[in-house]
Amino acid sequence: MREYARLWRELIALCLRRYPGSTVFLIGWHVVSTVMFAAVGLTLRALVEATQAGTVTAIGVAALGAALVLTLNLGVEHIAYLRTIHLVERISLTEVEPRILRACAELPQVRHLEDPEFLDRVTTLRGQSGAVVDWAWAVLQAVSATIGLLVALAVLGGVNPWLLALLPCAAVQLAMERLGRKKIAEEDLASAEDLRLHRELYDDICVNPAALKELRVYGAAAQAIKLQAEAWERVTRSRARAALIAAGWSSAGWLVFGGGFTLAIFLVTAAGRPGDIILAVSMGVQFRNVVEHALHRSMQVGGYRRLLGPYLWLMEYARTHRDPADAAPPARLRRGIELRNVSFTYPGTTKPVLEDLSVHLPAGAVVAVVGEYGSGKTTLVKLLAKMYAPDSGSILVDDVELSALDTAGWRASMSAAFQDFGRYCTTFEDSVMMGARGDLNSTVRDADAEALVSRLPDGPATELGRRFGGIELSEGQWQKVALARSGARPRPLLFVLDEPTASLDAPSEHAIFTRYARRSRELAALNGAISVIVSHRFSTVADADLILVMAAGKLVESGRHDELLTRNGMYADLYGIHAAAHA
Amino acid sequence: MRERLDLLGLFRHAGPAVTIALTAMVLIDAVVPAGIAIAVQELVAADGRSALAPVLLMSGVVLAGQLALAFRFPVGRLAADRIDGAHRTRIAALVMGVPTVDVAERQDVQDRVKTTTAEPRDWVDRTSGDGAVSQLELVGHAVALVSSSVVLSWWSWWLVPATVIPAVFFRTVHGRQWVRHFRIWVEGVLYHRRWKYWGEIATTPAAGRELRVFGAGEWLLGHYTRDMRTHVDPVWEDDRRVLRGLWLALLLPLAGCTVAFTWVALGTAAGQGTIALEVAVVTAAWSVFSVAIRTDDVISLEGARPVRRAAGELERINPAPLPLRPHAGTAAAAPPLVRFENVSFSYPGRPVLNGVDLEIRPGESLALVGLNGAGKSTLTKLLAGLYRPDSGRILADGTDIADIPGWQSRLSVVFQDFLKYPLSLRDNIALGADDPDLLTGVVRDAGLAPVVSRLPGGYDTPLSRSRTAGVDLSGGQWQQVALARALYATRRGARILVLDEPTAHLDVRTEHDLFQRLPDITEEISVVLISHRLSTVRQADRIVLLDGGRITESGTHEELMAGGGQYATMYALQARRFSQGYEDRLDEGDLA
Repeated sequence: MREYARLWRELIALCLRRYPGSTVFLIGWHVVSTVMFAAVGLTLRALVEATQAGTVTAIGVAALGAALVLTLNLGVEHIAYLRTIHLVERISLTEVEPRILRACAELPQVRHLEDPEFLDRVTTLRGQSGAVVDWAWAVLQAVSATIGLLVALAVLGGVNPWLLALLPCAAVQLAMERLGRKKIAEEDLASAEDLRLHRELYDDICVNPAALKELRVYGAAAQAIKLQAEAWERVTRSRARAALIAAGWSSAGWLVFGGGFTLAIFLVTAAGRPGDIILAVSMGVQFRNVVEHALHRSMQVGGYRRLLGPYLWLMEYARTHRDPADAAPPARLRRGIELRNVSFTYPGTTKPVLEDLSVHLPAGAVVAVVGEYGSGKTTLVKLLAKMYAPDSGSILVDDVELSALDTAGWRASMSAAFQDFGRYCTTFEDSVMMGARGDLNSTVRDADAEALVSRLPDGPATELGRRFGGIELSEGQWQKVALARSGARPRPLLFVLDEPTASLDAPSEHAIFTRYARRSRELAALNGAISVIVSHRFSTVADADLILVMAAGKLVESGRHDELLTRNGMYADLYGIHAAAHA
Repeated sequence: MRERLDLLGLFRHAGPAVTIALTAMVLIDAVVPAGIAIAVQELVAADGRSALAPVLLMSGVVLAGQLALAFRFPVGRLAADRIDGAHRTRIAALVMGVPTVDVAERQDVQDRVKTTTAEPRDWVDRTSGDGAVSQLELVGHAVALVSSSVVLSWWSWWLVPATVIPAVFFRTVHGRQWVRHFRIWVEGVLYHRRWKYWGEIATTPAAGRELRVFGAGEWLLGHYTRDMRTHVDPVWEDDRRVLRGLWLALLLPLAGCTVAFTWVALGTAAGQGTIALEVAVVTAAWSVFSVAIRTDDVISLEGARPVRRAAGELERINPAPLPLRPHAGTAAAAPPLVRFENVSFSYPGRPVLNGVDLEIRPGESLALVGLNGAGKSTLTKLLAGLYRPDSGRILADGTDIADIPGWQSRLSVVFQDFLKYPLSLRDNIALGADDPDLLTGVVRDAGLAPVVSRLPGGYDTPLSRSRTAGVDLSGGQWQQVALARALYATRRGARILVLDEPTAHLDVRTEHDLFQRLPDITEEISVVLISHRLSTVRQADRIVLLDGGRITESGTHEELMAGGGQYATMYALQARRFSQGYEDRLDEGDLA
């Protein structure tokens, strides 16, 4: 609760600092609007009473007052609404969203992007910074609207104390209204799966041109269209049911309030003062709008909590997970990288992915890591890239603990192409360089991507990815982009290729390996760089200086290709299967 | 006007009961303000005497209005949902019922499909259903204006223009503002989606790794800021313009109301009418302005407009969608002899096949090899009748496949980008035509049995993590599911099995096992196998090489190796790399 209060103060202060005019106007309006609802009844009464008295000046003043209140109540309220949207958008897009992005993109480690529990919180926040800021204003408005209701009741009570009985009636009505809204929220949650199913079937299957060929061949179009329609039908029915129940609650609430209202009108009418009648009626019939507004904003405040939790968590996480290390990485590797008894278990899981791994990767070596799915190859790479820290054991870079090296600096001296790479919807050049300076042409050449670039309509300036109307690449072509990206670093000390050629044909794969092998040797001569090539195919790594064979998180064998073959162990076995096909 | 009628016409999908109920509620809501004005007049006229009747009238009107308001939301939601459901099903039928697949792949068609069916992402996206309901509400607003005007006219006819004109003027000005604002917003919507995209990217694990390794956090933020600014700067500029305009426009209702209130009050004081009438007229004037300020329907109508337009265009692009029917399972027949005769095919601006002559003999296994982009997948799409040749013919037992009804039911294809249905394993394989015996058989043949035994719900486990108790399969496991699906179709009568890179995601051992089993599980079936890993195709009865848009080599592995052509070069390359490591150079000429 205290942290919410702090966040609220912080956000309002931020608004005040950046846009003092708008902020002061809005706060002022929320103060004024607490009496606005009551003012409607009061000015109309004044108009009627002035008419009865017959004084021209009084009539003029009252008419202007009533018109003014009307304009304020409808028009300025609307302006305040638009201004809130504007302010919230400005603050959230220029201040809050960048904070979220920084936390996501710049924290040294990646646990918050990989651990499903954390990732859920992060994805909840995607593009939702507006809600965080709007929450601060919703709080203010909910409070202001509630006070407005109380003021209105006080005015009604001034006409006839019995009218205060409207308060409990309104409270009952509010409670029932709330029950209904809750029901809708519950039902939304319950039908979310059907809605997702409908969307997935519809977007990915029914209207996806890439799916059509298979639907045709298998005669599955009718079935797909039927299943999406059924899922939608379930969503429709469940939403309608919930909304009807909610309307039922709301109506029941109104019956209660309506009873009170009827009694109030009866009492006021019996007194026979036209001014009071119009006051009671005009306020009574507007009551619902005011109640709904107050309820809507306060329910929103509650709903935003869903986002505030993750937001506060992420900010705290970002604050506490900055990188304290500051040692500069060496300019060249002399000894290499040594892993000593490294063990690692992904946080939140129990099964170790790496167990007691000790190995020395000599400077200047081309190291291949082979093993089947789930053997821990990729995790090893992540530890080398400082994406995670080992649970126990240590990684030494030329005798300096990797954990002591400045993370950004260490990463600036490495490069990598991952199996699971990003497909960025931007220009080819931008996607390769990612803001780095360097020679695009030689990078493209190294990745064997010249043919690809020459086929792009606007060359390196071609937008990639269908999402925003660019050129869609094949899997193999995307892979070449990722490879080119990894080559955009001129002189890395550690160069990682994590299964980078799975979707390429034989000559392309060959050409790439040839070039990267040559590059690895050049780098090794230049600064003692280590190249690590991860693969589950054995044919690609035979030439490596050191082959690490991994299984179930352990290093099973290591050595050169011929050494491992004579050992007749796991490597020889798996290599045999593959080689048999080529014999 | 046509657009408005088109929207109202959509209510045919909502059902008569819902439409009538919604119309009734909208109309009740519309006449309530006038009703209140009348009731308040009666209350004041009662002048303290026994006022039970006017009191009941008043509470009756208010209650009717509240009930109509309360139920308008669920009924309107239901109407909109039903309209949207019918709309989407229609669009899907139009897309799936295109004459050949290339029509659906056309960019202009895809753009329209996207426009018509996108899940509302931003406030500017409205559905057909939203548009229809808003159009009905707009009718309600007109009724509200007219009924309140009737009450105003009891005082004097000129009071009607005196209040309605400023109100309508305000509404028009503000409505125009909204439309302009809306269009400015939509103009930059691509950049809006782009900046959202950067946020999305920042939270994916794949990009997360690369952003860190390449120190590209600032790069991402720069893109976010640039795209966000490109979108919102004009929007924010217009925000300020709208707000300034609104302050000015508000002077109209202020002036209108002041004049009307003053005039009526002065007139009443001078004895021109009763206090009761004054109260009624003031109440009615108030409600005229309340209606004028509501402009949310303007946004809905504007938002639904592109959706309706694109839907109409899709209807014109595909005026006669093919009926969608599941294949009937057929009794086993012999596989046909398929002949490609001088077949050519181009994608717009890109020729792919240029005079292909090819036979697929009954029951043989034929491997189709070639470099990336040689047209292997295109050839299989022609075989499946998904595209029509630009010239040449494809015959099955002498008949053009275009003239064979249900040709596609005789084929089964594992596409490279096979579908991953977010459905149960059973549905993923059987696609609604469930036969438990066949299912067990193909699961075994596809090597999927161990996976099934580990699934918590067996065959009924949904294969999507977004479903309750659903699981995510690995790439390799999905590939086995796709294979099982294809085998299932062969058990139900398909006689040609096309496998397009069926093992790209499998590990060495599984791939090896699968190819060992392949001849046994495809008996009596013609198999067309595409693979870039040549070691996997050498056991095929025949291998054909596709190069430069035609078949350049054909024969068994041994024959082709002996022939010393391109196949032999490619094979030797992979094998050499295998036995000696990757130091060998490949001549640039071989890479073309």
